[in-house]
Amino acid sequence: MLLVKLAVKSLLNRKASALLTLFTIAISVMLLMSIERVRVDAKSSFSNTISGTDLIVGARTGDIQLLLSSVFRIGHANNGVSWKSYQYITGQRGVKWAIPMSLGDSHKGLAVLGTNKDYFEHYRFAKKQPLSFSQGHEFNHLFEVVLGAEVANTLGYQLGDEVVIAHGMGNTSFHNHDDNPFKVVGILKATGTPVDKTLHIPLAAIDEIHGGHAHQHQPAQADANDHDHDHDHDHDHDHDHDHDQHDDVDLVGTPKQITAFLLGFDSPLYTLQVRRNINQYKDEALLAIMPGVTLRELWEMLSIVEKILLLFSIVVVLISLLGMLTSLLSSLNQRRRELAILRSVGARPWHIFTLISVESLLITGLGCIVGTSLFYALMLLGADYLQSHAGISLNIALLSSYELMLLAAIMVAGFIVGLIPATRAYFYSLADGMSIKI
Amino acid sequence: MPFFRKLVALVTLFMCATANAGAPKEIFWEDLIPKGHVQIDTQAQANHEGSEQNWVQPDLDAPVVKELDGKSVSLPGFVVPLEGDSEVITEFLLVPYFGACIHVPPPPPNQIVHVTIKGGVPIESLYDAIVVTGVISTETWSGEIAQVGYKMKAVGVAPFEL
Repeated sequence: MLLVKLAVKSLLNRKASALLTLFTIAISVMLLMSIERVRVDAKSSFSNTISGTDLIVGARTGDIQLLLSSVFRIGHANNGVSWKSYQYITGQRGVKWAIPMSLGDSHKGLAVLGTNKDYFEHYRFAKKQPLSFSQGHEFNHLFEVVLGAEVANTLGYQLGDEVVIAHGMGNTSFHNHDDNPFKVVGILKATGTPVDKTLHIPLAAIDEIHGGHAHQHQPAQADANDHDHDHDHDHDHDHDHDHDQHDDVDLVGTPKQITAFLLGFDSPLYTLQVRRNINQYKDEALLAIMPGVTLRELWEMLSIVEKILLLFSIVVVLISLLGMLTSLLSSLNQRRRELAILRSVGARPWHIFTLISVESLLITGLGCIVGTSLFYALMLLGADYLQSHAGISLNIALLSSYELMLLAAIMVAGFIVGLIPATRAYFYSLADGMSIKI
Repeated sequence: MPFFRKLVALVTLFMCATANAGAPKEIFWEDLIPKGHVQIDTQAQANHEGSEQNWVQPDLDAPVVKELDGKSVSLPGFVVPLEGDSEVITEFLLVPYFGACIHVPPPPPNQIVHVTIKGGVPIESLYDAIVVTGVISTETWSGEIAQVGYKMKAVGVAPFEL
C-alpha cells in the first residue's frame, strides 16, 4: 500500500508527462472500444432487420444490392417489378403471403413505403417478432399513413395529423403534393430497424400521388398552365371519387410496377425451387434472394474490412503503450536520485521494481477508465447520427464480456510493458544515484 | 473465443443426447427416399424450356420414409441458412449437395431437411459440409394440397469428416 501511495505521489510530481501518457492510452482505448462496438452492433442491427421472410424478389441486380435497397433503404433499385409478374408469382401454389413494396418517395427525407396490409401482419424483425402498434391501427383508407416510431418522434406527429408526401427522395422536392395530404392513423412501436424511419401508405396511394396524374390526362401535351389547372381540378375530383368507390376495398390498386416484394411460403422447403424459378422467369428479368444467405455473403465480403479495422485499432493501442514505455524509460534517468534515496532509507531492489510496475499499471488502469468514459460519451453523442445516417442502432449497454476481455488484455499488455523499466530500475545499485556524475 | 465455447457446449450436448437415446443412427440421403420409389432425376428435369414452369418442387409427391419419424439420427449435408443473427444460425435447410441454391436445380422435397436448433449454432463457412444430429420427423403442412417433408430438431452440429 505504501508503494502505491509512493507511486501516486511520484506520478503527481510528473503530472504533465503522466497525464499526456494517460490520455494517449485513454484515446486509444476509446478508439478500440468504439470500433468494436460499432462493428458488433452494425452486424446485429443488420441481421435483426429481416426475419421470417423466405424470399425477396426484385428486378435483376446484385444479391446484396437488392437486399440493401429493399429492406435497408440503402442505395436504390435500378428497376422495378411489373405488376403482372407480381401477380403471376404470388398466384403460384405454396405462396402463403406476399408483401409488395414500392419505394422512392419521401417525407422530409424519410422513406415512404407503399405496401398492403400483409405488411403489418407478416413482416418480422429480430427473431420473428411481428410489428405492433403503439397507437392507432393499420391503414384502412387510401389516404391514411402509418408512421414508424422514429418518424413520429422526430417530427412530432400525432394521430390525426396530416402529412404531405413528396415525390422523390431527399429533403427538398419540387413536387410536393399538397393537394392530397395523408392522415396519420397509426404509429408503430420502435423496432431498431429501418421500419422506424418509414412512413407506410397503401400501395394504391403511391400510384395516386404521381402515376395517377398521367393516366387521367389523355391529352398529355396540353398547355402548361392549363395543365396545372386541370390537374388540380381533376385530381380533387378523382380523389373524392376514389374515396367513395374504393373505401377500404382496394388499397393495393393496379400499379404498373413495384420496387420489390417479400414472399412467405407454406413451408421453407419450397424456397429453393421457387427461387430458381423466379431467377429463370422468362417474361421479366427478376432476382429472388434468400435474406439469410445474402446476409451471410455480405458478412463474408465485409469480414476483411472488419479485420483491418480491428488490426488498426490494436496497433493504435500498441503505439500508445510504447509511448508509455518511452516516457517511463526516459523519466527513469531523471529519477536515479529519487530511487537511490529510496534505497538508502531501506527499500530493497524488488520494492523499486514493484514501484515502477505499479506506476505503469496505474497509468494503464486510469487510461482504461478514462477511455471507457470517453467511449460512452462518444456513443451517446454519435448514436443518433449513426441511426439516422447509417441505420445502425447502437446498443448503449454495459460492457460486454468481449469488451471487458479487451480491456483486460490492454491492462496485461500495459503491465508487461511496465516490466521493462521496472527491471532496469531493479538493477540500479545503491551507489548509482548517490554519486553525482558530471 | 465464443466459437470454441459454443463448440464445446455443442459437443457436450451431443454427448448427453447420445447417452440418453442411444447412439443416433447414421443415415444418408438415400435413406430418406422410400425403397422402390423411383426418384425423378433433378438434373434431367432442369432444362424445362417453354412457358410452363414447374413452380413448386420437382417430383412434388416425393414420398417420405414414415419409419424415420421420431428417430434420432445424424445426417451429413450442406447448410442453406434461413434464420439467425450475426453469430449463429438458428434455422436452416440441410441439403445433400452444395449449390443446391444456385448452380443446379434444387433437390426434391424429400431430399431437403428443415432444421431448427435451439440457441443456434455458429457456422463458419457455407462451403463446408457438416453433420447434424437430432430427432427427425415427417412434417405435414397444408397449403392448397397437403405436403410432407422432413423436419429436424437438432441437438448438435459437427464438421463433416470422412
